[in-house]
Amino acid sequence: MIELRDVRKYYRSGSGKAEILRGVNLRVEPGEYVAIMGKSGSGKSTMLNLLGTLDLLDSGTYELAGKSVHKMSRGRLAHLRNEEIGFVFQHFQLIPNLSVYQNVLLPLTYGRKRLRRKKALVLALLDEMGISDKKNQKPDRLSGGEKQRVAIARALVNEPGLILADEPTGSLDEETTESILNLFDRVHKNGATIIVITHDIEVAERADRILHLQNGVLV
Amino acid sequence: MKLFTAFKLACYGLWSNRFRVLSAMMGVVIGMFAVIVLTAIAIGVKDTLMKQMGSLGAEQILVLPGRVLDTANGQKDLLSGLTNVPSTLTYDDAKAIEGVPNVKSVTPQLETITIAQYDERNVQSVLVGTSDQYSRIQHADLSEGRFFTKEEQAEEARVIVLGNNIHEALLGKHEVPVEDEGSSGEAQQTKPIWKKVLDKLLGQSASAEETSLVGKHVTINEESYEVIGVLAPNATLGSSTDNNIMLPIETALATTDMKNLTKMIVESASVQAVDEVDGAVFNAIKAQHSEIDFSVVKQDQMLGALGKVTSILQVMLFGITVTALLISGTGIMNVMVMSVRERTREIGIRKALGATTSEIMGQFFFETLLLCCIGGAVGIGLGYAFIEVWNNNIEIFALVLPMWAVKLALYTTFGIGSLFGIYPALKAARMKPSNALRFE
Ligand SMILES: Nc1ncnc2c1ncn2[C@@H]1O[C@H](COP(=O)(O)OP(=O)(O)OP(=O)(O)O)[C@@H](O)[C@H]1O
Ligand SMILES: [Mg+2]
Repeated sequence: MIELRDVRKYYRSGSGKAEILRGVNLRVEPGEYVAIMGKSGSGKSTMLNLLGTLDLLDSGTYELAGKSVHKMSRGRLAHLRNEEIGFVFQHFQLIPNLSVYQNVLLPLTYGRKRLRRKKALVLALLDEMGISDKKNQKPDRLSGGEKQRVAIARALVNEPGLILADEPTGSLDEETTESILNLFDRVHKNGATIIVITHDIEVAERADRILHLQNGVLV
Repeated sequence: MKLFTAFKLACYGLWSNRFRVLSAMMGVVIGMFAVIVLTAIAIGVKDTLMKQMGSLGAEQILVLPGRVLDTANGQKDLLSGLTNVPSTLTYDDAKAIEGVPNVKSVTPQLETITIAQYDERNVQSVLVGTSDQYSRIQHADLSEGRFFTKEEQAEEARVIVLGNNIHEALLGKHEVPVEDEGSSGEAQQTKPIWKKVLDKLLGQSASAEETSLVGKHVTINEESYEVIGVLAPNATLGSSTDNNIMLPIETALATTDMKNLTKMIVESASVQAVDEVDGAVFNAIKAQHSEIDFSVVKQDQMLGALGKVTSILQVMLFGITVTALLISGTGIMNVMVMSVRERTREIGIRKALGATTSEIMGQFFFETLLLCCIGGAVGIGLGYAFIEVWNNNIEIFALVLPMWAVKLALYTTFGIGSLFGIYPALKAARMKPSNALRFE
């Protein structure tokens, strides 16, 4: 599913440049559930952004579902994100002036597929996430757990092969964390590949495999 | 790119930021309002000016009261001279001009506002004491009857010729400026069009049996006059005869207290002789006046003056449009740039979910465009309303709003929207999604 080879990423900081990723190699099989841990500032989010094609590699190669991502144009990357990747972020990243329903609908709006039953699809998913009664609310009226369910619904609506989650439970309490992780398990069972970034060992232990990002490399 | 989607997103974006959008729109609203109203004022002034100057043939010379100053290059500066000065021109001056060689005709005009009365109906009209040449000079054909003759002038006959509107109003056909004597001074209101139509449909036009006043007697200032003719509707450039009542100038001098001429139109025997006649006419009047308190104007001078008005107008309109464009454009752009900044996260999210660069660009571009077009439409509408209110209530001069000005305003708004929409759209589209998502 995923193959990173010798991936490097720098950021220009003041005078010189800081090398955040210094030759990351990673191979993830389809349907795998991988957790990545690491200290704050170790470059976890940077790496997830690269995996999600939200940022470009400075060197190395990245293959996703057999396609050479590092060679793609911006336009094709946008379509790739839309069709293959679902994002779940720590801060939910819902658009505040859109309703829950409209937020979940977004990936379908940008999709190239001509889906006839978009509305039914979104409503079914909201139902599955247990938030169908909130569908007309604005995100700021929701609790953290509810917001994350909306975000997960949005990540799943296009049925992507890969789910990328950056600290999905970072701002949730234990109980809510548990229910969100159960949702991830269900998604995983349905065949999705999941990469979750966390510094919470209990979250990481739900995955098939745990990797650590240290000094710019994965171990 | 899916245009419709971008458009839908733009509508939604505007709606969810409607308060900020409203304030941004004010710039465009005011700008377009200014363009519309100032255009209407400029053109209204020009039309009024043309009306004052009338239309002049190549062989015609206009004698006006008041002195038109000569500018340094010898051109007469008509604009500076067109103030309303009391006239000192008299019928004797007209007679003196008749003696000038190569003068074919002199048409003096003695004008006053008066109330004509027929069968209980009072109609306000312009009473014009003039000569038998008037209808020819004014290019006004008779629809009924005849114009008065030199003989009738000589015997001060109590005969009048009615302008078309006056004729119809006196017949009660439609309610053109009708006024009760008691309430003079009140602004007279014409009936709204729908009411006129309604009246027509219901056949309520009172006493419709009478179709012509030729041969009937009309009372003006307690004197009775016989109607001998009616002019056909006539609206040549600037000077319509529709609201006039014409009578022999000798009759006017004898029956009213009018003395001073509003203007004279002198006709030269040939176009070649115009320059010579021009000078001779000037000298003929000068001989009778203690100072030069009149002006003699030829067609080419008139055209020069009108050309000047037109070019001033064009420069002015250009200036207004450019100013409106810059003010409203930069205002809109500022708001949109701010909006893009505030919505950095939203842009990041949309990109993460698969929005392409062109989709983001389209969204923000359409937002700006839509903002401008709504604001422009509101401004144009307000301007139009202002002009309507002005024209219904203020009688100094009429504002004229030509269709091309509305179109110009619309295109300008569209232009502003497109031009100033590019930058915010590019700014939004260029954002790196990873950074945009990090934005707090
Ligand atoms: N756009 C950027 N420009 C410059 N430096 C950046 C940028 N993005 C991240 N960095 C730096 O890269 C380093 C890694 O950041 P990153 O967000 O990947 O860390 P992280 O492992 O996700 O940390 P946390 O657990 O706190 O979220 C940090 O030192 C950060 O300051
Ligand atoms: Mg992070």
